[in-house]
Parts: sequence; structure tokens; C-alpha cells
Amino acid sequence: MLSITSLSKTYSNGVRALDNVSLDIPRGMFGLLGPNGAGKSSLMRTLATLQEADAGSATLEGVNGEAIDVLRDKDAVRRQLGYLPQDFGVYPKVSAEDLLEHFAVLKGLTVRKQRREVVDALLQQVNLWDARKRKLGTYSGGMRQRFGIAQALLGNPRLVIVDEPTAGLDPEERNRFLNLLAEIGENVAVILSTHIVEDVTDLCPTMAIMNKGQVLLTGKPNAAIAALANQVWRKQVTKAELPRYEANHTVLSTRLVAGLPVINVFSSECPEQGFEQVAPDLEDVYFQRLRLQARHASQTKAA
Amino acid sequence: MILEFFRFELREQLRSPLLWLLAVLFALLGFGATASDAVHIGGSIGNVHRNAPTVIASLLTAFTLIGMLIITIFISSALLRDFEQGTADLFFASPIRKRDYLLGRLGAALAASLVVYLVIGAGLFVAQFMPWIDPARLGPVSLTPYLWTFAVLVIPNLLFTGALLALLAVLTRSILWVYIGVIGFFVLYFVSATLLKDLDNAWLATLLDPLGARALQRTIRYWSVEERNTGLPAVAGYILGNRVLWTGIALAFFAATFALFKTQRSGTGARRWGRKAVAAAQRPGMDRPVQPAAGSMPKVTPAFTAATAWQQFLRQLRFDTLGVFKSVPFLVMLAFGMANFIPTALDMQSLYETPIYPVTSQMLKALQGSFSFLLIIIVLFYAGELVWKERGAKIHEVSDAMPVPNWVPLAAKFATLVAVILSFQLMGGVTAVVMQLAKGYTQIEPLVYVKTLMLDSVVYILMGGLALTLQVFSNNKFVGYALLIVVLVAQGVLDTLDFTHNLYNFGSWPIAPYSDMNGYGHFLTGQLAFQGYWLLLLLALLLLSAALWVRGVGGGVRQRVALAKQRLHGRLGIATALAFTAFAAVGGWLFWNTNVRNEFVSPDQQLDLQARYEREYGKYKHLPQPKILAVSTHVDLRPETQTMRVQGVYRVQNPYHNAIADIHVQMVDDKALASIDLGGARLIRHDGPIGYRIYRLDRPMQPGEQRDIRFDLDFHSNGISNQVAQQQIVANGTFVNSQMLPGFGYEPRAQISDRNERRKRGLGEPTRMPKLENQAARASTYLTDDADWIAFKTTVCTAPDQIALAPGLLQREYRRDGRRCFDYAMQQPMLNFHATLSARWAVKKGVYRNAARKAVPIEVYYDPKHPYNVDRMIESVQKSLTYYEANFSPYQHEQVRILEFPGYSSFAQAFAGTIPYSESIGFIADLRDKDAIDYVFYVTAHEIAHQWWAHQVIGANVQGSTVLSESLAQYSALMVMEKEYGKDKMRKFLKYELDRYLSDRGGELVEEQPLYRVENQQYVHYRKGSMVFYRLREEMGEAALNRALSRFIADKAFQKPPYTTSKELLSYIRAEAKPEQQTLITDLFEKISFYDNRLETASARKRTDGRYDVSLTLHADKLYSDGKGKESAGKLDDWIEVGVFAGADDKNQKVLYLKRHHITRKDQTISLVVDQLPTEAGFDPNNKLIDRVSSDNRKKVSVDS
Repeated sequence: MLSITSLSKTYSNGVRALDNVSLDIPRGMFGLLGPNGAGKSSLMRTLATLQEADAGSATLEGVNGEAIDVLRDKDAVRRQLGYLPQDFGVYPKVSAEDLLEHFAVLKGLTVRKQRREVVDALLQQVNLWDARKRKLGTYSGGMRQRFGIAQALLGNPRLVIVDEPTAGLDPEERNRFLNLLAEIGENVAVILSTHIVEDVTDLCPTMAIMNKGQVLLTGKPNAAIAALANQVWRKQVTKAELPRYEANHTVLSTRLVAGLPVINVFSSECPEQGFEQVAPDLEDVYFQRLRLQARHASQTKAA
Repeated sequence: MILEFFRFELREQLRSPLLWLLAVLFALLGFGATASDAVHIGGSIGNVHRNAPTVIASLLTAFTLIGMLIITIFISSALLRDFEQGTADLFFASPIRKRDYLLGRLGAALAASLVVYLVIGAGLFVAQFMPWIDPARLGPVSLTPYLWTFAVLVIPNLLFTGALLALLAVLTRSILWVYIGVIGFFVLYFVSATLLKDLDNAWLATLLDPLGARALQRTIRYWSVEERNTGLPAVAGYILGNRVLWTGIALAFFAATFALFKTQRSGTGARRWGRKAVAAAQRPGMDRPVQPAAGSMPKVTPAFTAATAWQQFLRQLRFDTLGVFKSVPFLVMLAFGMANFIPTALDMQSLYETPIYPVTSQMLKALQGSFSFLLIIIVLFYAGELVWKERGAKIHEVSDAMPVPNWVPLAAKFATLVAVILSFQLMGGVTAVVMQLAKGYTQIEPLVYVKTLMLDSVVYILMGGLALTLQVFSNNKFVGYALLIVVLVAQGVLDTLDFTHNLYNFGSWPIAPYSDMNGYGHFLTGQLAFQGYWLLLLLALLLLSAALWVRGVGGGVRQRVALAKQRLHGRLGIATALAFTAFAAVGGWLFWNTNVRNEFVSPDQQLDLQARYEREYGKYKHLPQPKILAVSTHVDLRPETQTMRVQGVYRVQNPYHNAIADIHVQMVDDKALASIDLGGARLIRHDGPIGYRIYRLDRPMQPGEQRDIRFDLDFHSNGISNQVAQQQIVANGTFVNSQMLPGFGYEPRAQISDRNERRKRGLGEPTRMPKLENQAARASTYLTDDADWIAFKTTVCTAPDQIALAPGLLQREYRRDGRRCFDYAMQQPMLNFHATLSARWAVKKGVYRNAARKAVPIEVYYDPKHPYNVDRMIESVQKSLTYYEANFSPYQHEQVRILEFPGYSSFAQAFAGTIPYSESIGFIADLRDKDAIDYVFYVTAHEIAHQWWAHQVIGANVQGSTVLSESLAQYSALMVMEKEYGKDKMRKFLKYELDRYLSDRGGELVEEQPLYRVENQQYVHYRKGSMVFYRLREEMGEAALNRALSRFIADKAFQKPPYTTSKELLSYIRAEAKPEQQTLITDLFEKISFYDNRLETASARKRTDGRYDVSLTLHADKLYSDGKGKESAGKLDDWIEVGVFAGADDKNQKVLYLKRHHITRKDQTISLVVDQLPTEAGFDPNNKLIDRVSSDNRKKVSVDS
């Protein structure tokens, strides 16, 4: 559906936001996982025609199977695109209905009757119908995100890009939102960028992990988890011991249980007395990849 | 704690580069205003020293008004920063006290503001040491005026404005609203200025000004140059009252600020006003879990056609325009505009506070001046808002990713500005029409509204569009606004630096004047051409902006430029190139018009020309030149094309004892002189730019010789000029006078009279007129030395639907070659001062009959749109002729004509029997209110009086000659008016004259002269002239004064040189006056004298016989002033009225006692008895004396029981 080849971007302050990124994104939900600053937003903005790339290419499969050059033929991409940016605002004094209607025209829905139908249907679908006359300034974070997804779905897009949509939502709002996304994902390509591992685990048949502008892993979450089978170990330690473990082992994660650190360690065999083997989850995969990249980097530097 | 807050805040504020940037900018303005003529703030300096105390005080006070723009930043950031940045919770969760926080913060903000004013003060102070300033325009260096102004005006103003802003900040918690408050304050400030127009409201008007500027102006209003240069007003009266009031209000505001300041987050407290938000729980369904709608989504895939982009454009336009309409700043400006316009339009007046009819052109003038100008603020503000709208709301990542062509957003935003401008104008226009209808005026001219408002909108479109492009180019809101300020400053400064060409001053053009008679006439061509020129530039800039329009995020300058280059490849690039080319081409064509086909002379170049004229030709001042005996012209006037051909013959004579070898011919418009035949002569010098030619006669004119001089003049335009096109020859309402014909010899009146401009060019002190004692100068009248009394006849041919008029009796009216022709001939000699007029007039006729002679027809030629006061004019002519014939001498002409001409100038002017009268005075005056001053009657009487005072007796070309024409015409008109309206009305009129005299003398450029030496100074010969002659009449009696005047006329009318002078007039008056009135005549005419009279106390006691004893304490003083305003004590020996009145108000007052008392001492008590209970008493109660404080002459009487 969308294939990205060797995409690179360096900002004027020297930050390499995208470093030779290549990805193949099929129809359905695609999770893009990475910590803050990984380059996810840069990638998304580039795909959403909002930012120029320095090198590489991206090709979107058109309605009739034709190939659209995402970086050059921006207008053609925009006609296929639904985009929900990470940090987007609204006009606080405009009602949801009015703004959505406005966006609908900008999306090319110029026939009044059609537009009204679409707007009404979308408002119902994102469950904002009853609040449609309210000023957007009075919306809660979740309502605003649902409004955001409504605008992204205007004009029947074939590529939907949502950038960290669940940040700042309470669990219930988050669930609602993800349900909505899953439903859309049945028909079109949806790229969901997030730093929340569960979002991807729950929703995405395919995924990629990014950090520091590089793609660390791409594929199906289950396969990635399976690859870590029998290699993740867990132990409760004391705070004083923690630095020692971090120095000697690949500590994937540390979390406090009843006030004491519990660590997950990546190792092909039991690293030490007292560790127990645990079934890996996507989070372990995620951290394992990040640690791997970090070690790589330090090795490269050392060499 | 307070100190800690203060220190921290002050450090923060002083670290802000903005403070120093703005302070330095303002200091530079102040520096510029003091050190050069290029910058004007709070009025020009004129003849007063550049560093005079009053100038410093006025300037610094003016800065406290515009300084509000800066201190708003300080105050609102000090009070609101923590709320905006969310640090408020940090502060108020800690155990600090509100008092410490608030006082510390506010104190620091005020201190920072004071620093700004100190920097400005330093800029002013330094300016006086600049080496290029003429030392003659500097007074002694002193810090006192600075200290005084800071203490009395700047610091109290800072307290008040700071308190106001703090209160606004605390109340609204929004910087936007604070700024709107500031705008509101500005508008209210200027609206209240109109109050000052009404003299009786002086206390109110000065008290209502929170900044005290008007109190200061009011106090020094009548100050002479000398006083302005040396003195500072006492902190008393208006100033003290104002300062006490507003400092008190400032303290109250601070108290309110303190009380209302809340430390909790905005929105969590109880709402102070407005509806409570409907509780969220009432809204059903909001929190229901997501259930996808039953029906499936309609799958509508948009189809993109050519029309899609257009519809997106319209949608964006609608959305943004509605956004502006609903936004608070727009609504606030609209409300202010209406609040400003409606009272202005309700109270339209021209002269003497008399209202005018709400004719469309005047409504539009009021609209443009009081309403439309707000658009400049609106467009500049919204240009920035619109460009940053999406990015400001963080919505750009959504909208920029939508399938909208690149051109749509920018085009829509520009169109939004245009739509906002046009809607605003439309609302103003509709309001104006409603007001016309409400006033019962039904001659609405919708087309004029449309035309005028469209033309008026262009400047706002240009400025808004420019602001838009600057925002796009700079891609930084702050920089965009800063660039805009640079443009605005450049617009103001270029002009004053003598860079006046419209080709480089953005958004400037020759502004087409509108006249009811002539519409926009031929003036529109120039305006439209230049407007088109600037609109082309705007178009080019907009296209360039389209290339630089930011879409998406990130990308530095280099990427923007690269992207722009990419976008410019293709149609956008071609269009941009075409627009720039068209701009350049139109510019070139305009340059060809203004500088090649026409001459472009800047104001300074014009003055340089005048200086060269004086230097090169001044030596010919006394060169004998022939005198004109008779003028005969044939005028072929083409109003349709604004051209005129004049074939003329002067019969001239050499009246001197020596032969005349050279004739010096001078033309106002040198190019118009197609040929001149001096009876055989050779052109030996031709100075085109100055219009001066010297011809050597083949055969010198011998003493007494007469000959004919024939000339052919051709007046036509040469395309578009940089200035407004000529206003004499127009489609309807042509008015050309004899100055356009050739004159002889050097003309001293064309010299520069401004002392400073002369000094700059090394020309020495100005001499406006020869001295009164100069006997040689009595050889000619003060109008011209080209002729004495001439015979005159003319033939004027004009358009077939127009009437042409000139002085003289109509001999014949006929058609020739499809033109309508008129032959006029004067039946008796007249001054060489004539005019030709032509227009489509309606005519109203009347007649004046005097038993002694045949009837004199009276004709008023007026525009059919202005019939209102025509009868009043005829009546005034009749009454004037009656009075003047009875008291002076017979009227010399066969008819009286009044001719309306377009309001390009506002005057009426008396030619022989023929009086052109501007449409802007009198014709639209609304005289239905019986209390209004009937200046139509008065101006007509004044012009009729000139048929005696100028057209019978004309003064020599020496000081004081305008007393004989203007002051006597004023006196004559006052007498006619007094007969018509009674003495009560005169008081109101004279109060105006007194006020105008006293305030205008402060603007004297050279030196004030006593009346009998007046050098054509309007405030002296009109304003003071009225006062002087009215008082003289009171003292001498009307009969005696008129006797003197009629004897003077009998001796001097139509005299030959040497011409008469004011001295001779005085001798006739003195001959009729009593011996004890001789000093008075000296005081009135030969000195500049002032009184300081007031009624100190007035009390009454009832007597046993039912009558009342009244006791009045009077204070009198008399001062003499020299021409610069230096005063010396005078000796009191005057007869001054003392009056006692009964009745509540002015109108129904009854005079109980009114008698002139001989006053010789400064202080005295007068006792008298009246029949009735007195309410008011007065010392010079009717303000007949020149007294600078006229309001303390009357007092209520306190009655002891």
C-alpha cells in the first residue's frame, strides 16, 4: 500500500530525524512504536506532505493501482490522506459541526448535500452528535481527539495517519478512541504512531519500532514476541543492587512492585540465582531493541 | 517580600529587549520632533523655541498617551504572566501575600515604564544640542521644564494609565482585552476632543482628559510666543483640578485592582458576570461509550474539478470573514466607530457652530474622518491574525495536509481583508443613510456613497494587503508588525523630509476632492492611476507571497527560498513577473506624466524657487512698469475638457517721467503664455520655472504714452500630475481670476514670508508689507501695482448648458459655434481684480429698491442641490445695501450677483458687483435653529460691505491697509447683523471672534502688529477688527462713527495715488471722537492692549422699600503687549460696563442695570440699587473688551436676607 525507501531528514540544528528509513505498510492498522524523539512525527509529517525529506522516496498505491510519489505529487497524496497530528488545536469559538463542515470543503466535499450527510454521519460515528453545536473550546481532551479523527476520516481517505492520538487520554477515552481506529483499519491503511506499547499490542497486525531516526524492527508483533521466547528473566532486587545489575546485564525494564525494583533482563540463559523466566511481551521486545541499538552505538563509538 | 518581588520583576522587565527597543524608538521620535521639522508630535512648534518649556511639556505629555502602548506590555506581563504561563499555581501555593506580590509586581512595572519616559526625556534633552539647529530657534538650556512636566504630568499620567491597565488586566485576565481597553481609551480620548469645540464646556473638557494635555493646552491657549518661550503654567485652575481628579481616580483604580485581584486560576472562581455555563451533566449522550452508528458511513469520495478550488476559496473566505465579524476586536472597533461617527454626524457644523444640512458629501466626510479611519487599525491587526490564524490555533497541520491548492489560503485571507473593509464601510454607509433619513433629509445619493466608499477603501486594502505580505515574507508575527511600523513611519516621515512624490511613497496619490457641484470631476484620473499603480505592486507582492507561503512545518529560510523558486517555475512565476512588469510600466508612464509632461516641484524646491526669485529679480522691485488702464478679454472656456483660451488686450500707459525700456512679464503658469505682443519687443530673459520674462521694447514707452498689449493664453492639462490637478477650470464650477493673466514687474508678495524658511535660505528677516510711514509705497494699492482703476469688458464663451459670469453689466447673450457666449462690460472703473465663472446654475432673483434711485437686481446663481439659504442671501443683500447706502455712500454697481462655486476653497470673495461664494460655506448651513448664528446673513453682509471697503476705498500698499477693507467690512456686517438679530446675538458672535483672536495670535510667525499696522494678519484684521470697531461704536456711538466713515469715503472713494492709509482713517475717527476718547482710540488701534477684568464678589440686600442694594467688588487691569507678547502695565482710564441681571438662564435674562463706569483703579467696590431681585452681575458682562479670561466677568449674586 505504502512503501517507504531510504527516507532521510536532518534538521538545521543537526538532529537526524530520519535515518535511512524504509518501511512497507500494508492495508490495516500499522503501529509505529518509539520513544519520544524517535522520529515518528517527522516520518508522519513527511508522509502527510507537511515536511520535506532530504533523500529517499515514498510511494503510495493509488485507487486504480497507480503509484503516487508521496514526496513530489503532494496534491494527489492529500486527496487520499486523513491526518491527525500529534498536537493539534481547534478554534475554541467555533462549533464542532461548523469546523467539520469547513474541513469537509477543504477536503474537496463541495457538494452541499453529500457534505452534510458525511459530516452528520461522522459526528455520529465519533459520538459527538449531541455535542455538535458546542464550541470546541468546551470539549474535553477525548472529545477533541474524536473530533480530530472525524476530520481525518472526511473524504474517504485511503491512508490515515494518526500521531500519538492517545496521549493524555484517560483509560476510558483511550479505549473508545482505539475502538474507533480499529474499525477504520478494516478498510484502509492506518498508521498509528505511539509510545504506548499496549496500543500496538492490542490493535496492530503489523508494526515497526523506531528510535533516533532509525527503524529498529518491523514485522508482526507476535513474531517479534515469539523471537524473545525463553530469553526474558525477572527478579526483585534492592535499590542498592540496581546499578550493579544495570552494569552487568541487559536490563530491559525496571518497575517498582511494593516499593522494591523488579527488573526484566534479556539473556539467553538464567543470568543469576533468583531470576525466573517470564513470557515476553511486546514491551520487552521494544526495550530489547532499544538496548541493542544503544549498545551498538556505544560500540561504534568505542571502535 | 515586597522588595524581593519588586527587584525580581524590575530585573525581568529591564532585561526585556522590547523595553529598550520601544524606549529608544520613542526617544528617537522625541529627538526628531525637537531637532527637526520632520517629526510632529502634539502639534508643530511654529515660531516658538524648539526647547521652550511649553513645547517640552506638550511633547512629554503627548508621549504619555502613545506611551500607553508600551506600558501595557509591562503592566499586563507583570500581572498576567504567571497566569498565561501557568506559573500562578506555583506562586500562590507558596505562602506569599497577595499584597507583596501585587505591590512588588506593579511597582516594578511602573518603575520600568518610568525608565521608558526618562529615556524619552533624555532624547528630547539631547536634541537641543544638535549642531544643525538654528541657534535663533533655541532658548536657554534648562532642566526645570523636564522636572515640572515629570512631576505635574508624566508621573501622574503614569499612575493613572498604569492603574487603568492594571484594573483591566485584573478584570479580564487577557492581554487581548487589555489592548482592546487601550484602543477604547484612545478612541474615547479623541472623541472627547470634540467637546472642547464648545467654548462653554471648557471645564468639562479639560477635566475629562485623564492625561491633562487639554488642561495644559487650554491654560496656555492664549499665551503669546514670548510667554510660551519662557513660562510654565502655574499648577492651578484647569491643571490643578485635572491632576487632583485623575490622581484620585488612579488611586481608586489601584484600590479596586487590589480588591479584585484573585489568586486562583481563571475560570474557577464565581463568574463575575454573564450566564453561568450550562452544567455539562445536562447534556445527554456525551459520556455514552462509543457505539458506532447503526447505518454504515456514506462512502463519498470527493471529486476534484476545476470548480473545487474555487469553492474551497469561497469557503475559506466565508469562514475567515465570519471569524473576523464575530471576533471581539472587530466588534469593539465597530462599536467605537459608531460611537464616534453618530455624534459627529449629528453635530455637523461649519462656521460659528451653526449646523449644516446632512448632505451626502458631508456625511461621507464625517464618515471617513470619524469611522472609516478605524479600518487602518482593523486591517493591520487582522492581517497578522489571519496569516497566523491556523498556526496560532495549532490547526495548520490539519488544514495544510488537506487537498487545497497552494493559492487558496493566501487568496482567501486577502479577500477576507477586502470583505471586512467593504462590510465595515457598508455598515458606516447604511448608518449614514439612516441618519440622513432620521433628520428628514431625503436627497440620498446612493451612487455617491458607493463611489466614495470604494475609493476610500483602496488605501485600507493596500495597507492590509501590504501587512499580509510582510507577515508572509518575515514569517514572524513580531517582525511582520515591526516592518509594518517601519512603512508607516516612512509614510509619515518621507513627506516631511520633502520626499513627496507619489511614486515612492507607498499608498499615496493625489486625493481627488469631492464637490457637490462638480463631483469628483477630472481629479479622479490622477487618483485612479496612482491607485492602480500601487494595487499592481500589491498584486505583485501577493503573488510573491504565494510563492513564499508556508505550508506544513519546519524548513528554514533556505528551504523556503528553494520551495519558492520551485513554485515560481510555472504560471505563478509568469504572473508575478507580469505584475512586476506592469507595475514598473505604469510607474514609468506615471513618471513620464508627472515629471516630463508636467513639472514636479517638491515643497522645498518650490521654496528654493521663491528664494531664487527674490535673489535674482528682487532688484527690479522698484522698476517702473506700465500701468493698465483697460482690460478686455475674450475667453473661450471648455469646461468639458478643462481647457481655456484667453485672448486679451491691456491698454497700458507709462505714468512716469522717464521712458520705460523693458517690460517684465510675470505668469503664474508660464507655459500658458502662448504669445504676447508688446508693440514690438524682444525677449531678453526667460525664466520658465519662475515664470519671469524680460522684454526689451523696440521703441521704449515714452512718458504718458499709451499702447495696447495683446496676449494669447492657452490653459490645458498635460496628463497626470503628482499633485492634485488644477481646481480652477473644471467641468462644472469654473472659477478663474485675474491672477492667471500676465502681470508686470517683480511681485514682493511672492517672497517667502516664513521667517524660518527665509533664515534657512539666507534671506534675512521677512518684510510682509512696507511701513505705514513709507510714502513711496502709497503709489499703489495693496492689491497690485499693475493698475489703479481700470475699464473692463469681456466675452466669455462656455458650454451650451452653462452660464458664464464676470464683473460688469451683461451686454448680450448669444450662441456662436455651438457655444454659449456672454458679453460683459463694466459701467464704471474698478480695481484690476476680476474673475470668470461658469457652471450649470439655477438662478433666483430679487431686487433692492431705494427711493432715490432705480432698482438694483439681485441674482443668486446656485447649484440646484443647494436651494436652502438663497432667500436669506437675497435678504441680507437688501438689508446690507439699505444700511450702507444710508450710512456710507451710494452703491456703485448696476446689480449684485452671488455665484456658488465648488468647495475646493472655503471663502466668499467680493469682485465688483459679483460675489463668488463657496458651496462649503453658507449654501448648506441649516439655519432653522433660531439660536444659531446666521453666518450666511453675516458673510453676505461682509462681502457686500466690500463694495464700499475695497471697491470704493482701497488702502495703499502699506501696513494697516486691510483695516480699511476687512476690519471695516466686519464692522459694517456687524451693524447689519445687529439690526437684524439684536444685541444679544452679538455677544455670542463676539465671543467667538475674541476666542479666535486670542488663540490665533499664539501662532503668529513673525510679529503681532497693532490693528492700524496690520500686515494682512487675519486674526488681527478680522477677529480683533470686529472687537475693536464694536467697542469703538459702543463708546463713540453709531452715528458719530458712521459720520466719520462716510466723510472718509466721500474724500477717498475711487481716489488716485497716493492711496489712503489707516492713519488717515484714524484722523477721521479722531475728529468725530470726544477728547476723552482719544486714548481709547490709541489703545484700540495703535497698541496691543489687554484687559484682565473680573467681578470678585457680588452681593445684594433687600431694602425696606422692596428694592435691592447691590454691592460689587471689581478688579480691573490693563496691559500692553509688544509684537512678541512681552507685556507691560497700562494705565486704567476706561469706560467699562457694569451690569446686573435678573432671571434664571442666559436667554430669558432681564437687564436690571447696565451702565458704563469710568474705571481708573485696579480695585473698587460699586454700590447701586435695582428694582428687582438680582441673580447675576457682571463687569464687562458682554465681553466687549479684549480680556483673556472672559468667563470670570460674570458672577451669581448672593442675596443676604
